This record gives sequence, structure tokens and C-alpha cells, in this order.
Amino acid sequence: MPHPAGRGLRSVTRPAATTPGRLTLIAVGLIVLTTLAALTAWLAVRDRDHTLTELTERREPLAVAAQQVYRALSDADATAASAFLSTGGEPEELRVRYENDVAMAGSSLGRAASDPAASEAMAAQIDVIGRQLPVYTGLVETARANNRQGFPVGASYLREASALMRSEILPAAERLYRVDTARVAERQHDAGGFPALAAVVVAALLAALVATQLYLTRLTNRTLNIGLLVATVAIVLGVLWSTAAVTTQSALTGSGRRDGTEQVDLLVKARIAALKSRADETLTLVARGEGGGYEAEFARLTSRLAGEDGTGGWLAEVAADAEDETPLADQVAAAQHSAARWLRTHATVRELDEAGDYGDAVRLAIDADRPDGATAAFLALDDHLRAAIDAARQSFFDDTTNASRALTLLASGWIVLGVVAALGVGAGITQRLREYR
Amino acid sequence: MSRLALVVVALLLAGCGPAGEPPDLASPVTAQRPTPANTEIDPDIDTGGSGDEDCGNPTASLRPTGLATPPGSTMAEIKRRGMLRVGVDQNTYLFGFRNPATGELEGFDIEIARAIADALFGDPDRVSFKAITSQQRIDVLRDGTVDVVVRTMTINCERRELIDFSSVYFVAGQRVLVTKRSGYTGLADLGGKRVCATTGSTSLGNIAAAASDPVPVAVDNWSDCLVLLQQGQIEAISTDDTILAGMAQQDPTTHVVGSRFTTEPYGVGIPQGDRDMVRYVNAVLRQVREDRWQAVYDRWIEPALGPGSPPQPTYRQVQR
Repeated sequence: MPHPAGRGLRSVTRPAATTPGRLTLIAVGLIVLTTLAALTAWLAVRDRDHTLTELTERREPLAVAAQQVYRALSDADATAASAFLSTGGEPEELRVRYENDVAMAGSSLGRAASDPAASEAMAAQIDVIGRQLPVYTGLVETARANNRQGFPVGASYLREASALMRSEILPAAERLYRVDTARVAERQHDAGGFPALAAVVVAALLAALVATQLYLTRLTNRTLNIGLLVATVAIVLGVLWSTAAVTTQSALTGSGRRDGTEQVDLLVKARIAALKSRADETLTLVARGEGGGYEAEFARLTSRLAGEDGTGGWLAEVAADAEDETPLADQVAAAQHSAARWLRTHATVRELDEAGDYGDAVRLAIDADRPDGATAAFLALDDHLRAAIDAARQSFFDDTTNASRALTLLASGWIVLGVVAALGVGAGITQRLREYR
Repeated sequence: MSRLALVVVALLLAGCGPAGEPPDLASPVTAQRPTPANTEIDPDIDTGGSGDEDCGNPTASLRPTGLATPPGSTMAEIKRRGMLRVGVDQNTYLFGFRNPATGELEGFDIEIARAIADALFGDPDRVSFKAITSQQRIDVLRDGTVDVVVRTMTINCERRELIDFSSVYFVAGQRVLVTKRSGYTGLADLGGKRVCATTGSTSLGNIAAAASDPVPVAVDNWSDCLVLLQQGQIEAISTDDTILAGMAQQDPTTHVVGSRFTTEPYGVGIPQGDRDMVRYVNAVLRQVREDRWQAVYDRWIEPALGPGSPPQPTYRQVQR
């Protein structure tokens, strides 16, 4: 009595012993390999396309939301200090600006927190901001109430609020932005890599197709098998198309990174430094002599932002990489100009304060109606930086969207080519099999 | 058939039973209280106080010689510059604080500083005020950032080794400020409790040296102490009654308790070696005691502490 396992094994090996059996096996193997190759290629392309869509629709906007949280909080801090310096009641526009900043920070924080793929590190930063922001606003309101009554304890509440903002909240917001930006870079790297698995499977398929045709030629002395040739051409077409599309897509993703997100990152650094420096400028005056630390930080940050006179620092880096006569280049040039103006005005403010003209120093620093004042120069700088960030974001968006478009038809293309190749293999081998009947 | 039904029921129930706890996204957190910048709880404080015995009466200053400003003198140099640079406080109600309505500094100390400028320039506004912390008072005099310091500064032997002082222009004494509902009556009740004073002040040393052993808390400005008291992070503030009175006026739920347990004679701080300036400031103060001290006191201090009169100066016998 034969062993059941032995019988099963023989039923598979027996057909391979004869030529028609071997041909059937080759056909089945080739069709399976074709399906596999088309599916892997389809998956790889679709994956890339998803990565690109996720970049433009989720990751990059989240990084921007994190940046907005930082900007709003830092601006709130500087505005609260400016309002405190204003005499004879708080100016309406500063009050409105502060309130809008706090509203903006809260709303952007909600958006930044809405990331389902948020990591532990991101959640921890959002947690810090979410817990401390209400405490901060409470302190500012207490400062305001005391200030209105002429009590100097109001100034102490403001300093406590500012210390909380600067030692806890802003560092958390900055870390959140860093993590979000790192994620963008990671995704860009993913979208630019070589699709190794798909390449290996497709190469294996091509090798198998060529080998089959050589074997058939040796077996039948006929050089051409139309079916197998069609299959080979379909797969070669797929390879050529993929190479072109992926090269285009990688180049566009790369330029989206170079002209887009990397520039945005530098500009955001610049904007954060400008905001911090503005808070330093006003807090130096609030501290009235106790503020040596703030002034030292102002000098350190602005030199990284724009060098000593507006021509160096991060702004110069962005300007060097920006193409001429683009909106980005224009905005960066305008930002450099405003930065230079601000630095000059700031030097005058410090001279006045050092010379004892405290009142004049304060007016030059915070009066928004003076076209030659520090407020006007700073607001112009901030405005140009915002516009430059928008311009760089636009080129990121354009490049990355086009990169995604380069892949759009390729995924379905692989399905069609796969079907064509499979049919070709089937037809080609069937034709040979008929000759054995 | 019924056996099959039993098997089905058993299979369905296999997944039942305790399923652990539902995930909790809102785990409880406790609030973290903010503190003013540079707050230190129980810092190292040197309570030794070297040189207390050897300088005799520390308040004895140089005898005034008049309001002349001969060429080459410290005063002539200040006049040449056109501004008197004064280290003051901008956070101590009644002595040196910023009036939010005008942005100007006001208070008892500010008026003393203006009197010196008035004598030098004939204009009380020729003053460049530098807000400084208690701790910075000696440093700014030693590195020449300011010409004088008028900032509730107690004259003592330890400081006399580093800077010079004018004659006494005000005498205060250390007491304790607590919330009314706390029921504390003095430092003796505050053993193991947190008591606030500014970094580098004599008050902080006195808290650390108190017999009841309170925990000293050091901050930059006196108002920071009031912030901590209002936020319930400390039990009391202990310093000169004049400063405490200013705080009690800003917060009616607090009051000053206990009796004065130190005597704090305030003097104008002057860089060591500017002997001509010491004599000059003493001459200004002699005049101030006669013509405006009472008016300034009645304006700032009297409503909080009741009537007072100018302290009498003491001068050194030997011209050293």
C-alpha cells in the first residue's frame, strides 16, 4: 500500500518529467511571478503617492500649526510687556493683539494636537503648553488688575508670567515644532528612497521571461514566441515608465525639500529669533536696568537672525539659496532690509536708555504710530518673514504635488501591464503546448 | 443537536469574563505653581556677619562741608556728565516704584535722589534711574555703573568694608507681614514655615538666623515676595516695616505683625573712596532734613506708618 504523502509528491513531480508537464509548470510559475511583480510595483508606487499626499495634507500643515503656536505665544509675551510699558492705561490695539495671540495659540495647539500619529514626545510638549497656558494668562490678568490700581506688584506678576512663558511654555512649543519638522524630513526621505523590493521582484520576472524564451528556442528551434515577447515588452515598458516617473518624483520631492521645507525651517528659526528678540527689547525696558540678561540675549539672537547689520545670519542663508526674482527672494530681501532698520533703531533705543532718556527710549521702542520706531520695523520684519514662509511653503506644495502627479497613472499602469504580461505568458505557452497534442 | 448548541454557547462565552480596565486618556495631573524668576528656597546664607564689632558705630559718616563742587571733585565729574546716575528700586511701593499712569518712578527714595540732583544741577529731573535688585546694590557702586544708590539700604559694618555710606536718612525696623486669616503674630510662630526676603538683603540673613528656624526664600524684588504670599507659596514676608507697609497697602487681606526686632538705618550708598561725595551728600541730607523731609514723609509714609520725624545724623570725630 503506497504511502499517501508519496502519492501526493509524485502527482506534482510526475508532470515535470515530461515536456508538456514542464511547460505547464513554467506557465503557472511565470503567471504567479507576473502577478506578484505587478502587485509589488503597484503597492510601492501607491505607498509613495500616499507618503507624498500625507506630506502635503497632514505632516507639513501640522509643522506649520506648531510654528503658529510658538509665534502666537511669543508675540503674546512681547505684547503683554509692551502694554505694561504704555502709560496712562493700556492701548486698545495692544490689548486686541494680545487677546488674538492667546486665541490663536489655543486654536493652533488644538490643531497640532489633532495628529493621530502623535509620538510620545509630541504629546508631552502639547501637555506642557496645554497645562501652563491658562496659568500664564491668569498671571497676566492679575498683573493687569494690579497695574490698573498703581500697585508695583503688578510688575512682579508680569515678570513671573514672562518667566513661565520663557522657561516652560516656549521651550515646549519649540520642541514640538522640532519634532514635527523632523517628521516632515523623515517622510521626504521615505518618498525619495529606492523601491528595492519591487525592483528585485520585477528583475526576477524579467530574468525568468528571458530564460523561458531561451529554453523554448532551444526546444523548438523557433526564435520568436509572440506571447512571451509581448509579456517581456510590457514589463520592460513598466520598468522604463517607473524609472522615469520615480526619477521625476524624487527630483521634485528633493526640490520641494530644498526650496520648500528647508527654507521654511530656516525662516521659522529666523522668525522665532525675531519674536524672542522683540520680547527681549521690551523686557529690557520693563526691567529698567535689571535687564542685562535680556539685552545680551537680544544681541545673540539677532546676530544669528541677520548678522550685525542685517546682511548675515539665517536670512542671508535663505537669500543665497533662493532663486532670483521669485516671491521668496523678494520677501527675504525686504526682511533683511527691515531687520537692518530694526537693529539700527534698537541701537538708538539702547543709547537713549543708557543716557538716561528712559521716556524717549520707551516711546521709540513701543510707539506703533512712529514710522521710525522699533515697533514699525519689527512688524515689517515679521510680516516679510511670514510672507517668505508662505512663498517657501507654496514651492514645497507645488513641487510635492507635482511629484505625486508623476506617480498618479503609474499605479494603475502596473495593473494593466501585469494583466497584459500574464495574458501574454498564458497565450505563448498555450501555443507551444498545442504542438504536443 | 442539543450537544451542538451547548458547544456553540461555550465557544461564544469563551471570550467573556473580566476584560481589564478601560483606557484612561485623562489621567489626573496636579497644577505646577509658577514662581518669579530666580526664586530660591532655603538658599545658603552667610549669617556670620564678619566685622560687626570692629567698625564701631557704622552709621557715623563724614561731616558735611558744604555744597561747593570744586574742579576735579567727584561732583564736578557728575556735573560735566550732565546726569546723576542713581541705583533705585522700581518695585517697592512707597519707597521706589513705577507709577503705571505716568511711567515715572516715585517714592521716598526717589525724592531723596532727586534732592541730590536738585542740589547738583538745580534741576531734580537730571537723574538717570537704574533699577537694581537688592543683590546688585554693592556691585553697581563698585564697578562705577552708578554714582549713588538710594534703595532702602541698611548701613552696617559688613557693607562698610566695601562701600561708603551717607548719614542716616531714615530708620526702619524688621517686622513680619502675614495674611490676616493665618493668625501668625511674629517670626516665633513661623518655625519650619517659608518666609520671604530679597537675595542679598540683611532681612534674609535675619530670617535665617531667627531662633524659631523658619525656611528662608530668596527672590529678586520685594514685590516678588508679595506675589508668592498671594499665591500661597510662602507663609510670611519679613523685612523692614516700611517696605511691609507698602505691601499691606497693595493687599488688604494682609497685615504687619510683631514688634520691630532690628533697627535698620538707611543711608545713601556711595563708592568707596569718594569722600568728597560722602560729605556733599551729607550736606544735601542736612538741608533735606530741614526743609522737605517731613513733607516727603507725610506724603509717602505717614498714611501707612503714622507720624515720624527725621533721624539725627552722627558724624565721626576723627577726620579719617
